[in-house]
Amino acid sequence: MRVSSPLPSPPSLGSGASPSSAANLAAHRRLAAIDPFADRDRLFDGILAALLTAAHAERGLLVDPVQPERFACAGVEPSPALLEALAARGAGIGRVTDPLPEPASASLFGLSDVGTAEAPAAIPLTARDDVLALLVLEKPPSDPVGFASVTAHAARILDSVRMADKVQKADFELKYRVWELESLYDVGLSIAGTLDFESLAEDILYKSMSLLNARTGTLIVCDRAADAPVYVRHLGEPLLDGESARLLPSRVLRCNTLAERVGLLANAPAEKLLAVPILADGRWLGVLVLADKENRAGSIDDFTEADERVASLFANQAAIALENARLHREAVEKEKMEREMELAASIQKTILPEALPDVPGLLVAGGNRPAKQIGGDYFDVYPLADGRTALCVADVSGKGVPAALLVSTVHACLHLLVPNNASDLPGLVARVNRHLVGFSSTRKFATLFIAVFDPAKGTFTYVNAGHNPGLWVSPGGVTLLPSGGVPVGMMPGVTHKQASILVAPGDTLLLYSDGITEALNGADEEFGMERLTALAVDGREQPPAELCHRIFSAVSDFTTGVAQYDDQTVLIARVAATS
Amino acid sequence: MSETLKVIVDRPDATVAVLRTDGYINNTGGEEIAKEAYALLGSGVNRLLLDLEKTKIVNSIGISILIEILEKLLDQGGKLAFCRLTPTIEKTFQIMGLAQYARIFAAPEPALAWLRGESE
Repeated sequence: MRVSSPLPSPPSLGSGASPSSAANLAAHRRLAAIDPFADRDRLFDGILAALLTAAHAERGLLVDPVQPERFACAGVEPSPALLEALAARGAGIGRVTDPLPEPASASLFGLSDVGTAEAPAAIPLTARDDVLALLVLEKPPSDPVGFASVTAHAARILDSVRMADKVQKADFELKYRVWELESLYDVGLSIAGTLDFESLAEDILYKSMSLLNARTGTLIVCDRAADAPVYVRHLGEPLLDGESARLLPSRVLRCNTLAERVGLLANAPAEKLLAVPILADGRWLGVLVLADKENRAGSIDDFTEADERVASLFANQAAIALENARLHREAVEKEKMEREMELAASIQKTILPEALPDVPGLLVAGGNRPAKQIGGDYFDVYPLADGRTALCVADVSGKGVPAALLVSTVHACLHLLVPNNASDLPGLVARVNRHLVGFSSTRKFATLFIAVFDPAKGTFTYVNAGHNPGLWVSPGGVTLLPSGGVPVGMMPGVTHKQASILVAPGDTLLLYSDGITEALNGADEEFGMERLTALAVDGREQPPAELCHRIFSAVSDFTTGVAQYDDQTVLIARVAATS
Repeated sequence: MSETLKVIVDRPDATVAVLRTDGYINNTGGEEIAKEAYALLGSGVNRLLLDLEKTKIVNSIGISILIEILEKLLDQGGKLAFCRLTPTIEKTFQIMGLAQYARIFAAPEPALAWLRGESE
C-alpha cells in the first residue's frame, strides 16, 4: 500500500568545519533518520526540529500551504488566522531560495513594530516549483547557503511523501474505475441471470449510490401496462413519491442548486440531486434519484456530467431488467392460461356426451368439434321416464375458462330440471334463466334450443331462446324454427314462447350452433344456412350419423386452411318409421 | 438497513474486538467505524474483526476510511479481518485492494481464530 522512495543521504563534512556546518550536518542526519511513511502525523515535527537545529534556533513554525491545519511549531503558538495567512503566502511565493521577510509573523515571536530588516524570515521548502511547506524563523539563518542544503533535503522528504500520496491516489482512482466497470458488468450479468426484479432493483440502487458516493437514493419504477408505480426502493429518506415521479420530465435533471430543481423535486430532503429517467422504447418507466455526493471532508460535491453518464448506464440496466421481468411475467401468465385452458377443455369434454342414448321413436346422432380456444357449445339428449325425449343445443357467450364454467352450469341446470319439467318448457327455460342471471357476470349468457319429442303424439315441442333456428326437414321442404325469446342469463324476468310441430316418420329435426353456419373460408365467406339446408335436404334419407359426419366434412372442406374460430355442434333427430 | 450506520463493539476476549456494522459505510459511517477502531487501538487492542452482515452498501469514501484504519493497524503491528460480506462488497474490497492487507472470511469464528493466531 505504501510507496518507498529513495531519500537523499546526508553530505559528508570536510575538515575545518564551522559551527554552522556542524549544525547543518546534524540537521541532515536528523532528516536522514526520519522515516516519512512511518508516522505521517509527526513528519512535520521531525522536519521542523532538524531545520531549527540547522538554524541554531529554538522557535519556529512549519506549515503546509495547501492544508494549513497541518503544521508543526516549536516555542510559538500560531493562531488559525496566522496559519491561514502563512499558507496563503506560501502558496503564492513560488520558487525562491533566499529567506523572505515575514513581518506578519512578528507577534508570533513577541516582536512588535519591526521593520522589514528585523522581521522574522519565511523560507519556502520547494520541489518541482511547488511550495511544499513554509518555514518561519524568528530571524534568517546565519549560513544561508548551508541552510539551503538542509531545506532542500527536507523538501525532498516532503516531495517523496507527496509523490507516494499521488501514486496511492492514482492507484485508488484506477481501482475505482475498475470497480465502476465491474459493477456495471455485474448488473448486466444479474439481468441475464435473474428474474427477481426487486432484488435486482435494489442492486441497481445500491451500486449506483456506491459509485456516485450518493448519501441517499430512491428508485421508482412503474408497471408498463398499469402505468402505475409498482416498486419504490430507497436508502435514506425518500426523495420522491411514486405519483410525483410520474410527473417528472423524461430527461436527466442535475440539480446542484435549489434554483435548478423542477417543482416536484423542490422539497426533496437533500442538498444536491441527480434524477435520471428509466426509459424503454422512449417510454417513461421510472426514475433513479441520487442525492448528496459526499466527499472525504464530509461536505457535498456537485454532481458532474460523468456522474450523469454513470447513473444513466444504471438506469438503462434497470429499464432492461424491467422489460425482462415484464416479458417473463407475461410468459408465466400465458403458460398458466394455457394450463387452465387444458383443464377447461378436459372438463368440457366430460360434460359433452360420448355416445347418445337409444330413445323411443327417434334416431339421434350428434357431434361437437371444439375450437382450439375453449368455446361454449353444449348438446345432449335426455330420455324421459314417460317415453318422451328431450334434446338440446346451447351456445354460451365468450371463450376460455369463463365460457367453460358457464357451459358446466347450463349442463347442471338442464340435468336437474329436464327430468321433471319437460312438460313446461317455458317454465323450465325461465328457471334456467333465473339461475344463470344469478350466476353469471355481465355479458355472460347462453343461447338455447330445447325440444321434447312425444312419440305418442308425433310432435316436437320446443323453445328457442335466442339460438339459431332449428331446421325441420320434411317431404314438404325445410321449415325454420325461429327464436322465441332472448338468450338465457341475459336479463331477469324474461319469458319465452313455446311452439310445436307435428311430425311424421322420416322427418328430421336438425339443430346446430353458429360455429357451423358462420364458419369462414379463406375468402371470408360464411358456410351459411343455404349450404347447411341443402345438405339437410339431400341427406334426409341418410342415417343421422352419416348426415352428421357429412355436415362436419363439408364444413371442414369449406374452411380448408383457415383456423377454426368457434365450436361447431350438430344434433340430428329423425322420426323413426313405425313398426 | 438504514443509511445511518450503527456500530456495536464486542470484546470476546482481551486481544481482539469485533465491530458489527449495520448500515451504509460512507463518510459518516466510515467515521463511526474509525472512531471505535481508534479508541480500541488507543486502549491497546490492535486485532479487529469487522462483521458486515448488516451492511449492504459501501462507497469509495467509506473504503478510503477503511484503508486508513488498516494502515494504522498495520503500523502498530495489528491485524484486520472482515466477515459476512455481501458478494458485491467482497468483490469491491478485492478490487480496491483491501483484501491484499486484510483477510476476508465467510463467518466470524475462523476470522477470530486467524486474528488470535490460531490459524494461518
